[in-house]
Amino acid sequence: MYIGPQLSIWLKAAICLSVVGTAVESLRAAETISFNRDVRPILAGNCYDCHGPDEETIEGGLRLDSRESAEEVLGVDGELFYRITADDDIDLMPPPDSHRHLTEGQIETIQLWLEQGAPYETHWAFVAPKKADVPKIQNPETTINSIDHFIRRRLEEENLKPSPKADRHTLVRRLYLDLIGIPPTPEQADTFVNSIDPKAYDKLVDELLASPRYGERWARPWLDLARYSDTNGYEKDRPRSIWPYRDWVVDAINADMPFDQFTIEQLAGDMLPNPTLEQLIATGFHRNTMLNEEGGIDPLEYRYYAMVDRVATTGTVWMGLSTGCAQCHNHKYDPITHTDYFSLMALLNNADEVAIQVPDPGMKARQALINQQIKEAEAELLTKIDPTKYQTWKKTEKAKVVPWHHLEPHQLKANLPLLEHEGDGVIFASGDFTKRDTYELTYQLPEKLKGKTITALRLEALPDERLPAGGPGAAYYEGRSGDFFLSEVTLSLNKEPVEIEAATRDFGKIYIGKGDAPAQAVFDGKGSSGWSTASRESEPHELVVNLKSPPQAKGELKVELLFERHFVAALGKFRISVTTSEKTAAARAWPLIDPATASEQEMMIAYANSAKEMTKARAALEELKKKRPSPPTTMVMRERPPQNPRTTRRHHRGEYLNAEEEVTAAVPAVFPQLPEGEPANRLTFARWLVSENNPLVARVVVNRAWQAIFGRGIMESVDEFGTQSEAPSHPELLDWLAVEFMEKGWSRKELHRLIVSSATYRQDSDIRSDLLAADPDNILLARGPRFRLDGEVVRDMILKASGLLSDKMGGPGVYPPQPSSVAAAAYGNTKWPISVGEDRYRRSLYTWSKRTAPFAAFTVFDAPTGEICVAKRDRSNSPLQALTLLNDAMFVEMAEAAATEAIAKNEDNEAIVTDLFKRFLTRPPNKEEQSALLSYFEIQRQRFEKGELNAIEWLGEANSSPDLAAWALVARALLNLDETITKG
Amino acid sequence: MNYDPLHERTRRHFFRDCGLGVGKIALASLLARSGSKLFGAPATPTLTESPIAPKSSHLKGTAKRVIYLFMAGAPSQLELFDYKPKLAELDGSPLPPSVIDGQRYAFIQPDAAVLAPCFSFNRQGQSGAEISEALPHLSKVVDDIAIVRSMTTDKFNHAPAQLFVNTGNGIPGRPAMGSWLSYGLGSEANDLPSFVVLKSGGNLSGGASMWSSGFLPSTHQGVPFRESGDAILHTSNPSGLDMQSQRDSIDLIKNLNQQHASSAGDPEITARINAYEMAYRMQSRAPELMDFGSESQATLDLYGAKPGDKKHAFANNVLLARRLAERGSRFIQVYHSGWDHHSQVKNGVATQARITDQACAALIMDLKQRGMLEDTLVVWGGEFGRTPMVEASAALGRSQGRDHHPQAFSMWMAGGGIKPGIQYGKTDELGFNIVENPVHVHDLQATILHCLGLDHNQLTYRMNGLNFKLTGVEHHNPVMDLLA
Repeated sequence: MYIGPQLSIWLKAAICLSVVGTAVESLRAAETISFNRDVRPILAGNCYDCHGPDEETIEGGLRLDSRESAEEVLGVDGELFYRITADDDIDLMPPPDSHRHLTEGQIETIQLWLEQGAPYETHWAFVAPKKADVPKIQNPETTINSIDHFIRRRLEEENLKPSPKADRHTLVRRLYLDLIGIPPTPEQADTFVNSIDPKAYDKLVDELLASPRYGERWARPWLDLARYSDTNGYEKDRPRSIWPYRDWVVDAINADMPFDQFTIEQLAGDMLPNPTLEQLIATGFHRNTMLNEEGGIDPLEYRYYAMVDRVATTGTVWMGLSTGCAQCHNHKYDPITHTDYFSLMALLNNADEVAIQVPDPGMKARQALINQQIKEAEAELLTKIDPTKYQTWKKTEKAKVVPWHHLEPHQLKANLPLLEHEGDGVIFASGDFTKRDTYELTYQLPEKLKGKTITALRLEALPDERLPAGGPGAAYYEGRSGDFFLSEVTLSLNKEPVEIEAATRDFGKIYIGKGDAPAQAVFDGKGSSGWSTASRESEPHELVVNLKSPPQAKGELKVELLFERHFVAALGKFRISVTTSEKTAAARAWPLIDPATASEQEMMIAYANSAKEMTKARAALEELKKKRPSPPTTMVMRERPPQNPRTTRRHHRGEYLNAEEEVTAAVPAVFPQLPEGEPANRLTFARWLVSENNPLVARVVVNRAWQAIFGRGIMESVDEFGTQSEAPSHPELLDWLAVEFMEKGWSRKELHRLIVSSATYRQDSDIRSDLLAADPDNILLARGPRFRLDGEVVRDMILKASGLLSDKMGGPGVYPPQPSSVAAAAYGNTKWPISVGEDRYRRSLYTWSKRTAPFAAFTVFDAPTGEICVAKRDRSNSPLQALTLLNDAMFVEMAEAAATEAIAKNEDNEAIVTDLFKRFLTRPPNKEEQSALLSYFEIQRQRFEKGELNAIEWLGEANSSPDLAAWALVARALLNLDETITKG
Repeated sequence: MNYDPLHERTRRHFFRDCGLGVGKIALASLLARSGSKLFGAPATPTLTESPIAPKSSHLKGTAKRVIYLFMAGAPSQLELFDYKPKLAELDGSPLPPSVIDGQRYAFIQPDAAVLAPCFSFNRQGQSGAEISEALPHLSKVVDDIAIVRSMTTDKFNHAPAQLFVNTGNGIPGRPAMGSWLSYGLGSEANDLPSFVVLKSGGNLSGGASMWSSGFLPSTHQGVPFRESGDAILHTSNPSGLDMQSQRDSIDLIKNLNQQHASSAGDPEITARINAYEMAYRMQSRAPELMDFGSESQATLDLYGAKPGDKKHAFANNVLLARRLAERGSRFIQVYHSGWDHHSQVKNGVATQARITDQACAALIMDLKQRGMLEDTLVVWGGEFGRTPMVEASAALGRSQGRDHHPQAFSMWMAGGGIKPGIQYGKTDELGFNIVENPVHVHDLQATILHCLGLDHNQLTYRMNGLNFKLTGVEHHNPVMDLLA
């Protein structure tokens, strides 16, 4: 229904005027006006600001976005027509001060539409796609699959001829670059070019789809969408560990994981029944948001911005829909309200953001080894103990021993975190933290203490695997994971204040700032001083406060803890105990061991680990402990427990500080709703996104694949399918592909196979002069695709051509060579530790991706920096790209490698030049090219020989001959050719 | 319509895809405004011309270029431009709860005590501008600058606030102001980058995102001058080669590209040939730019510049900024870090003023005597202000400092159409809130664009279904009172 001569006229107009952005031009009276195609763009672009879905900005109570609300003004001579044609500025619509006006063509369109009864339609993209019949065309024998029928039908209408099939060199290079992102070697190319097997092409497609390189190639555009990076972003931009997610993407694509499953695991893998480790890793998708670690930020404010990013990214990736407008107000054009937006956020907003360990089987042996060494070092340390000093110490420690009674809380309150009693007085804090947290703990003192007086309180700060870095603190950013900072302890008994006289702690150290965090700081009345145990995370610590006038142990004891720092610094797990002993209680030196029950051996260990006089002696042991290998971690989502759901509120004007009423989790009202009976949560939403209830998802996915291969989507705006978007060039093909994709089990490999098998894909890409005039952007596909390669592919293809490219897959990011000044420009004078060996030549996907100092050679070729979801990269053409390819030492090294291999493999200069040429361009050089290259070679060779150019400096190697030096220059020239860095 | 597709293609191609030219949407918005006349304009570049030709703008601009002296870390307005004797009176006591209620701060609690101004202020020049004794050099040029005492921002942490000033948004990933200008106006330099970034004084919180082109084509990205090696990355030949071999190589590449162009028919190839020519010119131009040999001793002394001496990095950069301005760069961003005085604000401000004051004043004098001040817009300022209250912290070892204060801060602007010798806007007697003529960061950006002839409402780019612009979605305007 979409295709017809009208559209064809429309499209021609759009091609002519696309720069100016004007939409629909005059349409002939005989034609049927389509609301979606012809009218909505006019109304949305000119009227909806004041007469659209946004109830808050409605003028004169008139909405033009639905028939019911516009009914009154829609007559042939009705108000609408009068207003758009009025001669006086008072009545004219759009009002002159809006700087909008309708063209004559647009007015004519509206008039025709009104005459035809002013029918409304739902926006095409909000209606589920259906497969239209494959169109009949004139010369079906030259087509290969259904794609060609849709494409040829349009070309016939436009009287354009398709281009002939590309030659086999072009085809093999194109296919390699599209399917695996690296070019064929000359040998691989020759095998295909010389093959007489009629199935050679299909077999090559099979082979490439099965290559592990396929997943690496197709992971890259997905990681652009996922805004993947190896650092946190913002000021400090510290490293993060989330590469297991990147590797998961590669593996999933290589395994051709169906896209619906691929979606569900990334959005809600943690909520699947008994999730596997891989399904947890997959939830890294939405952990790729940035983390602000600047001192003094409001952590929840930046979490909110991360949520805004997650909503926007989800909209772009799975719905092709910008939800961003509705963050601040009702959407002006699409039927998404301000509340819908936050309801959508609520679906994604109920997870804790944690890191999990990814077991590394290779690590076990190393761990065992170092544990053994630690054991030995500890034994060795014990031999160094001075017995006299030890005995004195032991006496003091034993003297501290008093009976402690663990108190079980009666009531737990906090400003925001959830405090839960986990038994035996142990309290665990979870949920969201702020940089000024207050805990209010209420205890009913037990009967057994009746008649006694409380002389001291003990606070045990306890480690736990659920906490960042094992706790005991909840700090998760600004450098010190697991840190805490206890500013003040305030006590009252039966509402009477209880004063603290003295305090002791086992260990104290402040991270950022000075001081050893004396225990007295917790009762000096100053929030900016306190107790902290930085540098010794995942260990228990303790604080003991002695009371001034010991009160009767009866009634209600209230303990208030204040944590105030310029970052989150609350305790994550702790316990309060009291003693009624008349002895002066004090903190143990080494809380891991209780002197009351410890053996002699244990006491010695405690001494060796804590005594000041042993500091030097235990240095070696401490070093060993630091070397204990821990498995890599990765950032994941963990759905919150039912007792602590996160509330999502509407934020007025989208601003963090303006939180208003609570919203319920739901998908926007315009779509079919989440299935009844299912909880409105992340998992249900993820399933909904890849169900028939979401009319957009399959279209959006096939369109992105089309863009990756043809350089332009069937919908040019790959990130926007809403009512404001321009119409697709081949709507029926888009829907056909979308349905086909779902019918074939959401298989990306099948989709790619379908596209690259088409005759449309196999056309020659030379731009015929008639096409340059009629369709310069190749919208109609009367020729094959031709465009510059992405920055990473540029490097990979040159690495491959030079013979250096490593096949190694996965693992932490690597550091290919670049000038140190690039990373040094980032905060903290960051180092760029250039990788050695194989890692220097890894595929670009594995390059360490630092948001504030992205790899220069990628950025210059428009690679994104992981700050925002990118569905479409620009393809600029700049002098800085030229400087990079000419002068960057990384490419010089590759040129030399290519030259070295070519010389070694070939006898004479003609053979060498041909080999080099084919490495970069796949095809052999023609006569003119060969002679230009050879004469350049000869001139440069002579200059090296004469010493005008310095071969040793040029290649940085003592054995650089003039020949090698000059061939390396030839290789450098070849890697700079437009054809080299272009898929033609 | 007399429509020549090839002609259009060629032009559009340059505007959109090549060199340092204008982007597709900017062009669209410019064309929409100028009634599509640009296609027929004789000044439009053709295939043989440079791909970076300047573009016509929305309005008649008063400035051709900007030198933005960004004082990163947030200089204390209370020590430099906004004198508040009341603070001396209240020194040591907290502000009334009605003032501080609900305020969020980075490090202090809002009930911290007031800290008196650390410097005395005097009236200077014909205009009688009240200015701190810490700025003796700027005091001499107050009649050439406009002081704004009513700046206000939305962000109270460094990275977001610096990003906000530079990109209009507190979250990394948006195009920088310089990128928007390059996108909207093109470049007047055909052998140097249009948008240049110079740095001194240490870490910069906002980082590279402040000169990123965001979702605009990377040709509009700011080019940071590097502190070691090539100032502009890869402008030196690889070692062992000379300019002749570079020329030979570029000629060979051109020859092969041309042969290919004749069969492939792709205008992109011609654009690439031009890009290589420009790259070659940049390689020769960059060393000339960095060589201060042609500057007189008097000029060096005026700025306090000492080529090659890192202690004089700021003065050297300001002088380099003038040299870039002379050579056609559009937006020269001079960052100087070191103004984040959470502790000992008096010493801190005195030190940074010593480093920066002379060169800033010298720039005004130098541009003026060269006749460049009238079309060069100079902007001086940080990302937010500092609190009237003291910052002190036992854990952090801080005392006598000031915390971040987004509500009010001061900046100055000069040249390029700015009214000289005025003071604009007012804060209350505590320097806490603005009481007269607030200038939001987005207003400042709209003003800068306006001076360059661009309407901030029309300079937009569509991405992920949204029309983005530098000045955000709320309503903001150029400050017409600041314009001459």
